[in-house]
Amino acid sequence: MTGLGHAVDTLAAWLAGGPPGFVATTLAVLLVWVAPLLLLVFPLAAFGQILERKIAAAIQRRVGPNAAGLDGPLRFLFRCLLFFLPRDRQDRAFAAFCNRRWVTSLLLLSRRLGLGQFVADGIKMLGKEDIVPRGADGLVFRFAPYLALVGAFLPWCVVPFSQHLVMLETEVAALFALATSGLVVVALKMAGWGSGNKWSLLGGMRAVAQLVSYEVPIGLAVGGVVLWSGTMDLHAIVGQQYEPGVFTLLGWNALQSPFLALLAGVFFVAGLAECQRSPFDMAEAESELVSGFNTEYSGLRWGMFALAEYTEMLLIGALLATLFFGGYQSPIGEQWIVGLPVVLETLVHGLVFGAKVTAVFLLMMWIRWTLPRFRVDQVMRLSWLVLVPICLVSMFGLAVSLLAAGGTVAGAAYGRVAALPRPDLGWPGHLVLWAVPVLLFVVLLRIARRKYGQVHPALRRLTGERA
Amino acid sequence: MTVEATTPDGERMTLNMGPHHPATHGVLRIVVESDGEVVASCTPDHGYLHRSIEKIGECVDWPMFVPYTDRIDYVCAMNANLAYCVAAERLLQTDAAHPVQVPRRAECIRVLVAELNRISSHLIAVGAMAMDVGAYTPFLHGIAQREAVNDIFEKLCGQRLTYNYVTIGGVAFDLHPTAADEITRFLDQFEREMVRFNKLVTTNTIFRDRCAGVAAVSAEDAIAWGLVGPNLRGSGVDFDLRRDESYGLYGELGVQVPVGQAYGGRKGRVGDAYDRYVVRLLEIMESVRLCRAALQLLPPAAAKASDPVGGWQADVGKLLKKPPKGAVHVRTEAPRGEMGYFLVSDGGKMPFRVRCRTGSFTAAGIFQKVMRGIFLADVVAVIGSFDIVVPEIDR
Repeated sequence: MTGLGHAVDTLAAWLAGGPPGFVATTLAVLLVWVAPLLLLVFPLAAFGQILERKIAAAIQRRVGPNAAGLDGPLRFLFRCLLFFLPRDRQDRAFAAFCNRRWVTSLLLLSRRLGLGQFVADGIKMLGKEDIVPRGADGLVFRFAPYLALVGAFLPWCVVPFSQHLVMLETEVAALFALATSGLVVVALKMAGWGSGNKWSLLGGMRAVAQLVSYEVPIGLAVGGVVLWSGTMDLHAIVGQQYEPGVFTLLGWNALQSPFLALLAGVFFVAGLAECQRSPFDMAEAESELVSGFNTEYSGLRWGMFALAEYTEMLLIGALLATLFFGGYQSPIGEQWIVGLPVVLETLVHGLVFGAKVTAVFLLMMWIRWTLPRFRVDQVMRLSWLVLVPICLVSMFGLAVSLLAAGGTVAGAAYGRVAALPRPDLGWPGHLVLWAVPVLLFVVLLRIARRKYGQVHPALRRLTGERA
Repeated sequence: MTVEATTPDGERMTLNMGPHHPATHGVLRIVVESDGEVVASCTPDHGYLHRSIEKIGECVDWPMFVPYTDRIDYVCAMNANLAYCVAAERLLQTDAAHPVQVPRRAECIRVLVAELNRISSHLIAVGAMAMDVGAYTPFLHGIAQREAVNDIFEKLCGQRLTYNYVTIGGVAFDLHPTAADEITRFLDQFEREMVRFNKLVTTNTIFRDRCAGVAAVSAEDAIAWGLVGPNLRGSGVDFDLRRDESYGLYGELGVQVPVGQAYGGRKGRVGDAYDRYVVRLLEIMESVRLCRAALQLLPPAAAKASDPVGGWQADVGKLLKKPPKGAVHVRTEAPRGEMGYFLVSDGGKMPFRVRCRTGSFTAAGIFQKVMRGIFLADVVAVIGSFDIVVPEIDR
């Protein structure tokens, strides 16, 4: 236990004098870990929403939110902080603060960017009536959003934000993340069923069918990494991708083997499906099911679903980065970052990690605002007939190349970060590792070309090609 | 692809799609019997937007009905205006003593505005279909282009949606001096924009796979169910009133008619949703060509004539006070297919009967046939592919 993890123990020990041990530990964990985590992820997810609106606007050549700035929230903050002063004094203090040129321009910029939009949206959501429809199954209906939120947040426990920022270091971290995120399935089904609305029911059914199907490729993709690393500890997996030298990214799992790169792709696609994002947003298809499982939700409960969705998107980004792209490690010059003082190192690692997560997040938005939606049968076909076979072949390839290297890394003793060596392949291993997947890729490409590449000659004119 | 519903009648779920549903494009109600995700039967129920427009026609003067035609199909009001005015002119022409002549410049402008409006109407159709399939962005790109057309119309007649521009005997106002340039500039950038649009949606694999082979209508069925316009041509029937029963300048311009040819590739069938979609896009290209040709033919504005485009001609107005007795039925090609007016005159200043035949009505009729056995998600795509405008159904 390092850093903040240590703080939990200290705090628990300090509290142990009062309440019984279990309660003390729970309290300490809540204070030191859950509260900061929520404080970190909640605003990020809320901010994700405004980011999405801005990106959608850019893609659609609109302006997007451009009226709500941060001046309103700031004034509110002033009033709260100066509660002991009369209202006019508070306002004068606020005005004096804002009259500074740089403050004014920053606040105006925040308006142009619509940065205050999520505050406004949040307040609107809080103020809305919490409606439970007459035909709804009240308990199930009310409970579903909480469960969705729990399912979206629990996996964050095992995500390493930096070398010192891991809430739960466990040997089964990857399994834990997969298992807890599965709660969302139940939540969506409950919402769909409990709403007492046929459209919602259809949405819930779709959600369950889809999520359960896509947990298979996601599990297999994670399995591939586990096979390669010989551990399910996410922090250990990150540590294993460390590569001394300038180009740290050469050590990333995705660059170790084409099979792993393939698995990263599968993980991303299946991850899109797992968080119900377009083109897999079957369960809430606005144009078909009138937003499906959350049709009947309003106010804060609806907000919880929205928050859960964004949190899950961030989570997919975090897991993708952790499993395949070096986690919190910087792509270049990691060795010098590790040498920094702990606080600075943690900060840099956190920023790098955030940047990676954001990149995945942006990619998801780009996809959402570009592609149409799949049909139900197409979604199933993609999972079972495309992604799962790719995963199986990749895992097989990984296993063969590991064997060719003459060692069995799978099942290696669980060790700490630095202790676990990355598998060292001889030339036969590398041959299998690269030649087979490249061949496979070429074959797949040809099949795809054959299947989808042919455009009716009449359509060539439409896309500006010479017929 | 189609799937047979297997559940017995009593255990199916009845879904009310509409009258308030984002994909029914207005207040259309569709009762869907579903077996899980598969549609077992589908019954369109309309009448929510009935405003007795045909009855109103019997209570207003001949020229006063033109603004009401705007409301019959507000997505392509110019074409709706044109349909009625051509019919009324044909009625007046039955009296050989007073030939009503539409000035050639007005004829050119009519083709111009009708084709521009066809472009903007088809943009709504293809954009909304893409949106129903889940791609929201193309719709807004289409809307942006539609706005440009609306800007042109606004300069022309002061309105952006319901124009009341085509009059019996001509058009209400002449083009403003820079209009030809503006239209040419619009068409140039529009063609570039459509290439981007098509790369984004039309050739997108997901979109194609969603629409290809869905709800295919054979040529015989299309004729038997009275489909018209792009929906008919999508089924491979080569029929366009602009060419085959030409009116105005269309005979002179020569219209190329695209028909459905299973554009969807491997899974595509003639007359499927994708064919109807592609036919609309090809028609947009053709409309661009027609606009250019009309601009070429446009005679210079007469410097001295007070009313070079027919406008509200005094003698036509006089004739309409006492039109010849009789009945005419004139069909024109609107974006949603044949828009026919059956006008009966008893010699009075108001029509005895106005009957409007529109394309959306029959398109909504065939829903019950083509929607059996498709997926629920495809229902919205199919509605989009038929390009329904609800006031046109109900009137």
